[in-house]
Amino acid sequence: MNPATLIPTPDAIPVPWGWFYILLMLTFLLHILVMNAMLGGGIIALISSFRGGEQNTLLSKEFGYKWPYTIAFAVNMGVAPLLFVQVLYGQFIYSSSILMAVWWFSIFGLLILAYYAAYIYDFKFEALGSLRIFVLEFSVLILLFVGFLFSNNMTLMLQPEKWQAYFTSGSGTLLNLSDPSLIPRYLHFVVGSVAVAGLFLALVGHYRFTKSSVDRDALISKGMGYFTYATVIQIFIGIWFLIALPKNIMMVFMGGSGYGTILLLIGIVLAFAALYFGYKQQVAMASVITLVTLVIMIFMRDLVRIAYLKPYFQLSDLTVQPEYSPMIFFLVVFAIGLALIGYMLKLAFGCRKEVTK
Amino acid sequence: MNYPVWDLTTYGGGFLIALVAVVHVLVSHFAVGGGLFLITLEKKAYKDEDAGLLDYVKKHSKFFLLVSMVFGGLTGVGIWWTIALLNPAATSSLIHTFVFGWAAEWVFFVGEIVALFIYFYTFGKMDRNNHIIVGWIYFICAWMSLFLINGIIGYMLTPGAWIETHSFWSGFFNPTFWPSLVFRTGISLTLCGVFGFVTAAFLKDDNLRQKIMRTCAVWVAIPFALMVGGGWWYFLAIPEPAKTIILEKSPEVTNYLQLLTWAMPILFIASMIMAIRLPQSFQKVFCFVIVGIALIYFGAFEFIREGGRRPFIIYDHMYSNQVYVKDVPEIQKAGFLTSSKWARHKEVTDENLMDAGRDLFKFQCSACHSVNGPLNDIVPIVQKFDTVFGMDSMLNGLGKINNYMPHFMGTREERWALANYIVHGPDIRVVQEITQQETAQKKPAH
Repeated sequence: MNPATLIPTPDAIPVPWGWFYILLMLTFLLHILVMNAMLGGGIIALISSFRGGEQNTLLSKEFGYKWPYTIAFAVNMGVAPLLFVQVLYGQFIYSSSILMAVWWFSIFGLLILAYYAAYIYDFKFEALGSLRIFVLEFSVLILLFVGFLFSNNMTLMLQPEKWQAYFTSGSGTLLNLSDPSLIPRYLHFVVGSVAVAGLFLALVGHYRFTKSSVDRDALISKGMGYFTYATVIQIFIGIWFLIALPKNIMMVFMGGSGYGTILLLIGIVLAFAALYFGYKQQVAMASVITLVTLVIMIFMRDLVRIAYLKPYFQLSDLTVQPEYSPMIFFLVVFAIGLALIGYMLKLAFGCRKEVTK
Repeated sequence: MNYPVWDLTTYGGGFLIALVAVVHVLVSHFAVGGGLFLITLEKKAYKDEDAGLLDYVKKHSKFFLLVSMVFGGLTGVGIWWTIALLNPAATSSLIHTFVFGWAAEWVFFVGEIVALFIYFYTFGKMDRNNHIIVGWIYFICAWMSLFLINGIIGYMLTPGAWIETHSFWSGFFNPTFWPSLVFRTGISLTLCGVFGFVTAAFLKDDNLRQKIMRTCAVWVAIPFALMVGGGWWYFLAIPEPAKTIILEKSPEVTNYLQLLTWAMPILFIASMIMAIRLPQSFQKVFCFVIVGIALIYFGAFEFIREGGRRPFIIYDHMYSNQVYVKDVPEIQKAGFLTSSKWARHKEVTDENLMDAGRDLFKFQCSACHSVNGPLNDIVPIVQKFDTVFGMDSMLNGLGKINNYMPHFMGTREERWALANYIVHGPDIRVVQEITQQETAQKKPAH
């Protein structure tokens, strides 16, 4: 059977695809940043709890204060890219989600559990005593599992040739475990999250933009330590991920496409630069470089998607039924929203100063 | 037919979405009105310099954060998750038609979260006026979320001029937009009182508890008028034939309508009982009973609204089973299985009769009918048809006599296969041996 016959007919879009593409890239970057703080932060808190000691315990306690925020915003910032990916690639992602429906459906229930566990960890830190490590483990393991399910769906949606498995099992229990790129891709996200979360810790230590009773130097050195070690591992996983991709897709980054090759080269150079500044504990430089690297990696991730789908679909195939006024409405709302959030943050930070006075 | 269908059998027929949606709508409407409840009480506490009341507002805001943001927020994402799995074609249609409506709603969702976090964590630390302003921003963002989603949900029942124009705005400001907005705003405010009982019931100070119970009873009573008035206006705004389906035709909706008419006054009376000074042990239990009644009441309403849409998921645009209305003539000519991308067999033969029938059931019926499940179980409904011929005639009559169901889509052979599956299928009946000869005998000439 020709897998292309399974791909549903997409619906028309109201403005040219480029708009959605920009919004997708932008909101995905926001999601990745917050998701990294959440997942990587959880992993670091867990490692700190295991290692013990005063500073480590303080670190895992303080992470507990911030954890519920990061979960709320990781989910919230995930809504927008998932919306735009459904606009551009709905016919793929709806289909693959149904193939793994049982797993996919479980995600928001699991997240509710992880979220409440995070609140229990935060509000009952002292009362829980030695039990709190189990609460932390419970929540981190759920988040790791949810990430794994995401990696499954994001790869399954790109491979209609695997969709025929539906005809032997339509009950929604499939995963994409046979894909050799699944594990390195997943680990690339997990280890990357530890690096970015380490950087967040160092930033907190360096700029003091939020109160912390952890020793300032310890915060910076621990944060940069996590960042540097994770980045070293990340370079190896990145290579593994690259060679685990199907050959034609790997070649996009190795001469097949000028754009793809340049992105990979910049990515490699930046990774080593990040490593250098991480080792030197230069927080600001490491942060700027990491942010640029993340942007490069997000564009590379998208090139992978485009290359997988090339035999079946490209974004310019989508029919446009132009209607611009709703987009203008959204952009106005977006601007108002940013202004309101800025105003509220100003109030919140202002009152913190009053309290500390 | 464009998308695969998740094979759910027992939990089919919309069970999963009903489960997620009913709890979500209760909490999400509470999340809207709750903002106004908090700031009104906070202001009153400042005015009267009432430390007890202020302390209650702070406690209630923690409950509110944990219920509305964690549970409400995630079940909201959960609804989107669920509809995409159960009805991807309709979800895709809603996403593509209203993408910037959803995107704007997302902005308000961000605003809501930021405001609520700041409101909760700066309680007692921020300048009083500023704190109230943050509360107002929360309420406005939450109400704007309601405003936007209300337009999109209303469109599914009454798309109005959109059917002709396909314009975002005509679909959004559809014929039931305003009445539904008034109704839902009324519900949101009523629910603040309902959930207020829960936090108030656990207060130790008798006088404070009773005072807040009375306040909550007022919060139920006054918006109740808005809710009932809005609900009536909403009902009047529903065009025919949806109204007749709700009132007379649909067997499922009639039961929910009865439930609604009972639950509404009971909710009111039960809430007023809370205004009476009663033992705390009673109040601690009874507050949850009231939440239960509200859940039944609101659940019944949502079932009626969904049921009124039958046989469509988006009125006059797409049938409940994901078939676009415009595609029907072509399907009747070419056949359903040929037109379905995810059907295993493209045409019916004597060998694949049962499999093809099962596929037809999955693609055309399972959106609304479970097999041996809690919602719209097909098994008892078809029990009286013991011959394929009888079932086939029934299928032929579908949508002609009962217009709350779509008519059968496909060729006569396909209808015959579906009838065979329903009568002899191993999932629906005890396995019965059917011989080729028997099918051949009964098969009509075509």
